Amino acid sequence: MLAGGQSLVPLLALRLASPSALIDLSGVPGLDYVRRENDHVAIGAMTRERAVERSEVVREFVPLLSVAMPLIGHLAIRNRGTVGGSAAHADPSAEIPAVALATDAEVVVRSSARGERTITSDDFFQGFFSTALEPDEALIELRFPVVRPGTGVAFEEATRRHGDFAMVGAAAVVRTESAHIVEARIAVIGVSDKPLRRREAEQALAGAEPTRGAFEEAATLAADSLTPPSDLHGSSTYRRHLVRVLVRRALESAVQHSQEGG
Amino acid sequence: MSDTVDILLTVNGTQRSANVEPRKTLADVLRDDLELTGTHVGCEHGVCGACTVLIDGEAARSCLTFAVQVRGSEIVTIEGLAEDGEMNPLQQAMRASHGFQCGFCTPGFLMQITALMNENPKPSEPEIREALSGNVCRCTGYQSIVAGVLRATGQSPISDSTHQE
Amino acid sequence: MSQQVAQRYVGSPIKRSEDRRILMGAGTYVDDVKLPGMVHAAFLRSPFAHAAITSIDTSLAREAEGVLLVYTGEELEALLAPGPYGIGVIMGMEKPVFSCLATDKVRLVGDLVAIVVAESRYLAEDATELIEVGYDELPPIVTVEQAFDPSNPPIFEDLGSNILVQSEPRSYGDVEGAFSRADHVLRVTISQHRHQNVPMETRGCVASYDPATEHLLMWSANQGVHHHRSTIAGRLRMDPEKVRIRTADVGGSFGLKLGGSREDVAAAAASRALGLPVKYIEDRYENLTASGQAREESFDVEAAYTDDGDILGLKVKMVMDGGAYPGLAGALPSVIERMLPSAYKIAALEFQSTVIVTNKATYVAYRGPWAAETFVRERVIDLVAHELGREPFDVRMQNVVTRGEEPTVMITGRSLAGVTVRESLERLGELVDLPGFRREQEAAKAEGRYLGIGMASYIEAAPGPKMQGMPLGREEMRMELAEDGKLIVFTGQMPHGQSHETTIAQIAADEFGVAFEDVQVVFGDSDIVPPGFTGGSRSATMAGGAAIMTARALRAKVLETSSHLLEANVADMRIENGAVSVVGVPASAMSLADVASAVRQPGRLPEGVDGELKVENVYDGGSGGWSGGTHCAIVEVDHETGLVHIERYVVTEDCGELINPAVVDGQVRGGVAQGIGAVLLERSAYDDRGNYLTATFMDYLMPTTMDIPNIEITHLETVPLDPDVNFRGIGEGGMIVAPPTICNAIEDALAPFAVRIYQQHLPPAKLLELIGVIEPD
Repeated sequence: MLAGGQSLVPLLALRLASPSALIDLSGVPGLDYVRRENDHVAIGAMTRERAVERSEVVREFVPLLSVAMPLIGHLAIRNRGTVGGSAAHADPSAEIPAVALATDAEVVVRSSARGERTITSDDFFQGFFSTALEPDEALIELRFPVVRPGTGVAFEEATRRHGDFAMVGAAAVVRTESAHIVEARIAVIGVSDKPLRRREAEQALAGAEPTRGAFEEAATLAADSLTPPSDLHGSSTYRRHLVRVLVRRALESAVQHSQEGG
Repeated sequence: MSDTVDILLTVNGTQRSANVEPRKTLADVLRDDLELTGTHVGCEHGVCGACTVLIDGEAARSCLTFAVQVRGSEIVTIEGLAEDGEMNPLQQAMRASHGFQCGFCTPGFLMQITALMNENPKPSEPEIREALSGNVCRCTGYQSIVAGVLRATGQSPISDSTHQE
Repeated sequence: MSQQVAQRYVGSPIKRSEDRRILMGAGTYVDDVKLPGMVHAAFLRSPFAHAAITSIDTSLAREAEGVLLVYTGEELEALLAPGPYGIGVIMGMEKPVFSCLATDKVRLVGDLVAIVVAESRYLAEDATELIEVGYDELPPIVTVEQAFDPSNPPIFEDLGSNILVQSEPRSYGDVEGAFSRADHVLRVTISQHRHQNVPMETRGCVASYDPATEHLLMWSANQGVHHHRSTIAGRLRMDPEKVRIRTADVGGSFGLKLGGSREDVAAAAASRALGLPVKYIEDRYENLTASGQAREESFDVEAAYTDDGDILGLKVKMVMDGGAYPGLAGALPSVIERMLPSAYKIAALEFQSTVIVTNKATYVAYRGPWAAETFVRERVIDLVAHELGREPFDVRMQNVVTRGEEPTVMITGRSLAGVTVRESLERLGELVDLPGFRREQEAAKAEGRYLGIGMASYIEAAPGPKMQGMPLGREEMRMELAEDGKLIVFTGQMPHGQSHETTIAQIAADEFGVAFEDVQVVFGDSDIVPPGFTGGSRSATMAGGAAIMTARALRAKVLETSSHLLEANVADMRIENGAVSVVGVPASAMSLADVASAVRQPGRLPEGVDGELKVENVYDGGSGGWSGGTHCAIVEVDHETGLVHIERYVVTEDCGELINPAVVDGQVRGGVAQGIGAVLLERSAYDDRGNYLTATFMDYLMPTTMDIPNIEITHLETVPLDPDVNFRGIGEGGMIVAPPTICNAIEDALAPFAVRIYQQHLPPAKLLELIGVIEPD
């Protein structure tokens, strides 16, 4: 299925994929929206990344998504690329799946045979360019919970160049109350065949004082037990090291953001 | 070859028709079917930006777009920038700044800059560099291009970084 | 007698003639060329680095939709004469001999196996997927050790081994003496990594054979139409007079598009067979994989130096990886050898080199192909400085030559006349507050931030100083006064971003006496222009000088002829503002158009007076000279991520008299950008099976606006060496000296971690390994 084409068409041009049929979703009406609905923000699958980047609703209610958007490729890519396309493509280094994971977003998919179903992010992103989508299903909506008061967010990436896929990225969502961390969520990309939540690190932060030591400890927990891939751009050891650095930086930044009012 | 499709697009203000395979990219249709060779193909995988055009006012990589996807859209290419056959103010500013050398990346840059200027009439140097970070030039090292955009937007050039003694 | 010609254009940043069409999207690059009936070629390429072809079946491809022709390597070779391809045409290499498409074996991933011509490129590519090839894999030769190993099969049978060329050690000066006098000897291995030209326009051609006239017209992206013609005519067994190469706009090249490629020859042969125009445009995947790569060299260096910091001598052993289908590699080591001492008082050198053949892309010319001499030398100077605890700047000042003092000649024999590297260092010292930076660096270190400063000096032969008894070269040019009074300049230069259409016109306009707008520069047609090419940083001197000399000769001729038309004394006559005039007699001026028209009227001129207002001239380069200078970078290294930010980049350089300062600055900045790219981003990477890993722009990383800082450039005052021509080239210098500049700065930033840098490619993971934060995998 062809959404924005920014990831799929290069694969076709390089003859790495040869689908027998390509269905263009841009002709399907009603998939392009950003709506606050009760406790979540619903974003239609065909909503262009640029529209999400500019959305005041997203900025106010799903700030992690808002700060992640400028990290995605370049302007011309975001003009055409869609949030649904990015989620369905499930590149392990993509930002939107990490945001979905870190915010416990839900994915709504539909098939003509079985109707709609809602899938948690944890269940949706299954592996290397692979999701829970059945062959006859299309992703139609992403639902991001509205951010709670006192929450700060950050998305730190290490890229070879501005706009490149992250070698490693870390998303942090931290809620503080009276100078203590109430709750933290951490998701990392570039470390596995899919984005990963770092729950052990999150648990270590629950109730903790937001000190450098706490961040470092959480970052170490986040990096431990990871076996990131090695490639041209970074060895496995380097990526694991980057997780420690970027998770720490993301936590510092998110806490600061939360203390500034979130 | 799959069946071809008749498409209608507005290109540089004129309605154009073509009969194309669905798998033919907008870049190829512009260059081959519509004989607008100003748009260049540098990589065919969406990274270098040489193929950038405006689709409904927004910058997009024409090598990543199938022509059939933009039926009914308004496309603007480098050929559409001139005013009455003369260079528009952006083109004149780029010339005055010696913006380019071999010229192959130029169409993509001009379209991306046009999109930038439409959204941000007085971009700062960091904003210009960020906006153009998805366009690759091999000849210039970018400084002359950035200087051209500053000139085109009525701003002082980069502090004079060349001296002759 | 020379006339005082008003210098209106030379020295000014005149706006480019090229820009109107380029900015309006009206340029003609080879892929823009469309000829009636044109069809399209695609190539089947090898998936293996080294394999015998045991079978090839093209029957399904021939039947495929829209396919007009398929050739295997054997089928095509039967139609061709063996001989050189690419830069081999210029280098005159005799061995190894190889075929246009692979016949019995493939020698790199991406090697050419078959050509398919079809109604569209899409259909031609579809059909290549239907060709069935049987391969017997052979051991891939991808490392130096494998190339030296005699038990590995030779990639080329006629070479007998995988060593292309191995030189005996050569000595200059008293090497023994230098090393015995030395207080210390630094022993290091310094290497450069493979990276590549990557012009934004790939290679390509449109070959159009006309069976009626038996002429071949080829549109091509190249750096010289005559070299291209030689290749095509030679391989197709055609009379060169029947081959016409046309080139309009070229989207960059940096040395890649020299001589006709194997793909060009295959497309031409296909066109001849079909009697139809055949277009082949290389796609980016092909360009990155197989068009050619450069710079893979390794140097074992011993540097003899004293406690005082005098560098007494060098012993250098070099291995260069020439890739498959060698072209340039065999000839390059001697250039590196001769350039190593550069503008320093290095009095002894021993040099030995080996060039190997491997199953990787051919080693091609890439902007300053011999740049390794600067990288090695400038790294060694910094390493010596670190050993001695001295400022690298001071060690440079101590070792650089002084104009007017001995030595005036490099020990390898090249004259150092006019070299101003010392002056460039001094000027740099004024532009960059070194002590101030050291204080800033200390303060930053206390905050856990790592700043560094690095510099490097170089000279480039642009075109180099005249050597005794030998002209520098031969630059042909022709100028004609057209009927409408415009000056037409025919040059063998083939600009591909250098703005020659503008710079040559500036010189010609000043020298001849017309407005810049009234000069037209013609290039890119082998039927019309004199032989020549663009490359090697020669054109400012050679073409600039040719423009001066030819314009002068034509001016003299026009004045001589006009003296008859105006019945005045030649000595009293001038050409100014497009008209011939007589000093003191304003009424008897005649426009150049009128002069051109008058000489075409029979009887207008006395008998025996030559009315042909055309001159052909050959310029020998005059005294020539070096360009050179010093670059300096200030960087910050993020010691947690290994990412590098360039805070400031300063250039002091001397390229003689500037024709167009904006053009010069553009060339410098573009070259520096490529050097920054080489260190921080670009690598042509292979795995141990010879698979090419960086075949798209996702993996071969090009520097963007966010990676290249504003570059401050100071041009030094000229030291004229020649009475007439003191323009010197500048095309390659930036790319030659930027890599050691950046590497020196990074090493300085990481001095607190006792880092030593012996390689040119420094991606972030590598820096963290060097710092010791992480272990190599």
